[in-house]
Amino acid sequence: MIQMYYAYQPIIDFFLLSVGFGYSQQIALRAGVFSIGTAGFAALGSYCVAILATKTGVPIFLTVILGTVLAAAVGGLLALPLARLRGAFQAIATLAFVQIILSLLLYGEGFTGGALGIVGIPREVNTWILLIMVGLIMYVMWNIGRSGMGRVFNALRQEESVASSLGVNIGKYHIIAFIISGAIAGLFGGLQSLYTFQIEPHNYGFHFIVNMLTIVILGGRTTLLGPIMGALIMAILPEIARPLAENRQAVNGVILILVITFLPNGVGDEIVFWFRRRKQARQQQKRASDKEGNDAVTSS
Amino acid sequence: MLSQQILNGLVSGSVYALFSLGFTLIFGVQKLLNFAHGATFMAGAFIAYYCTISGLPFVMAIGFSMLATGLIAILIDLIAFRTLRKRGNAEFPALVSSIGVDLILVSIAQQVSNTQVLNFPFGTFPIQFYDVFGLRISLLQIVILATVAVLVAALIFYLKKTTFGRQVRAVATNERAAALLGVNAQSVYLQTFFIAGALAGLAGVLIGLLFNSIQFMMGEPYMLRAFVVVVIGGLGSVQGAIVASLLLGVTQSLAVAYLPSGLTDAIIFGLLFLVLLVRPNGLFGDINAVAGGTRQ
Repeated sequence: MIQMYYAYQPIIDFFLLSVGFGYSQQIALRAGVFSIGTAGFAALGSYCVAILATKTGVPIFLTVILGTVLAAAVGGLLALPLARLRGAFQAIATLAFVQIILSLLLYGEGFTGGALGIVGIPREVNTWILLIMVGLIMYVMWNIGRSGMGRVFNALRQEESVASSLGVNIGKYHIIAFIISGAIAGLFGGLQSLYTFQIEPHNYGFHFIVNMLTIVILGGRTTLLGPIMGALIMAILPEIARPLAENRQAVNGVILILVITFLPNGVGDEIVFWFRRRKQARQQQKRASDKEGNDAVTSS
Repeated sequence: MLSQQILNGLVSGSVYALFSLGFTLIFGVQKLLNFAHGATFMAGAFIAYYCTISGLPFVMAIGFSMLATGLIAILIDLIAFRTLRKRGNAEFPALVSSIGVDLILVSIAQQVSNTQVLNFPFGTFPIQFYDVFGLRISLLQIVILATVAVLVAALIFYLKKTTFGRQVRAVATNERAAALLGVNAQSVYLQTFFIAGALAGLAGVLIGLLFNSIQFMMGEPYMLRAFVVVVIGGLGSVQGAIVASLLLGVTQSLAVAYLPSGLTDAIIFGLLFLVLLVRPNGLFGDINAVAGGTRQ
């Protein structure tokens, strides 16, 4: 067991970080916000932690908290103008935000190290801390899902006009979604820089965006299981396809197409939906048989 | 100097237009974002390169590569989009499946080219310069501007004046209503994909010539720019995409020439942000058009 853990530790850590970023991406999509700002928030969080940890004497846990707060605050500010936009326009505006952050990181060489990034960040994060943090975020997400806020998010995603006719303040909930998404991405960005001890702007580019979208859409956009399944597939796929060497990318592509064609809601969501349907069917059956029993009693 | 920069900007902007038109056409008709468009563009450059290497005349190589990329785009529709579309709510799933196609095409190109940067052989296209009103313009630039102008005019004529164009616009407005009136929506989809693919392929060849470098990752930056163009112009709007591409090209070359080089991207995307704040549906976007993408 321990042997296996050591052999696969990098993959496990990569998986845990992806799950964290995946939740940041998911909460936005879940509230009907097509934001791909997760990359920008993650960059803010990780650079905040990296700069504070290498250049000042701020305690490490405080840097992570500051990174999280910074990303959440920027998320809230970004939400103000973006509340006017919808759909693909919102996506592109957040893409613009990510590009602006990245080019500022590249430009501010004295402060951010430019294209080379920052090296020598103390390595303070291990698998257990990541595991605890993912557990914490899952707990938060689970509670959001069960509370009124989760139901408002679902309503906003499915039909915004209905939600607003029922008295939901759309702008407010979009801002909340952005803040949560920013906070989670900032937190995991900070953890990532403390884990990899070297960051550069390139880490949070187009690839990062595409990966996060893939994880959430492939895994599922509404359930807690979604990002876990998505991140699991994306972490394991390259390992399975390793013997194929150069054809690996192509095989990944084929599998992505096949999975999404047959499970368009995402693997995690489909599993959860299947269990829900089964539960419902059972309850119905039970109700029907109860009713039959009652009828038999009264008729006799 | 200023007008020279504007001219260079117009040339690169017109190539952006060629690339973005296909993207916006597919979005306008299907409401789907095709992430494999950049790979189609790259495939165009690759096919033209290998045709030229194997001794085909350059004009024929271009024609062949446009045909091939058109067929690739049709394949993309059949493999990645058709089944998802039938089930409805395809916006997000189509994103992932087109990313899958992108991975496949890029990986094939990487193996074919051994991860190397390819150049068209010297003399593929005559290098000649003309002086027009003090501007230095190359034959290639003239040919690019003329080709793009002709193709764009033809495309607009096709969409606005022919039966096929009316069918495309009918399907874009409402697929079910169009089908009830006897329009074959599937064939419209295939045709728009073919046109989009052929235009992207040509754009790939032209960019490959203009910068004289072809490599398997060349599609990615253009995808990013196509997003910008298509959104500023208004999703699905052909005129908007053309105006926005030219604007982007000129802004970019001016920003590179006159502003600190590291800030080019920040300025372009800052402008994009501002445009969206002032006009949430893009410059030419329909106010009533709902840009989907968030519905479950």
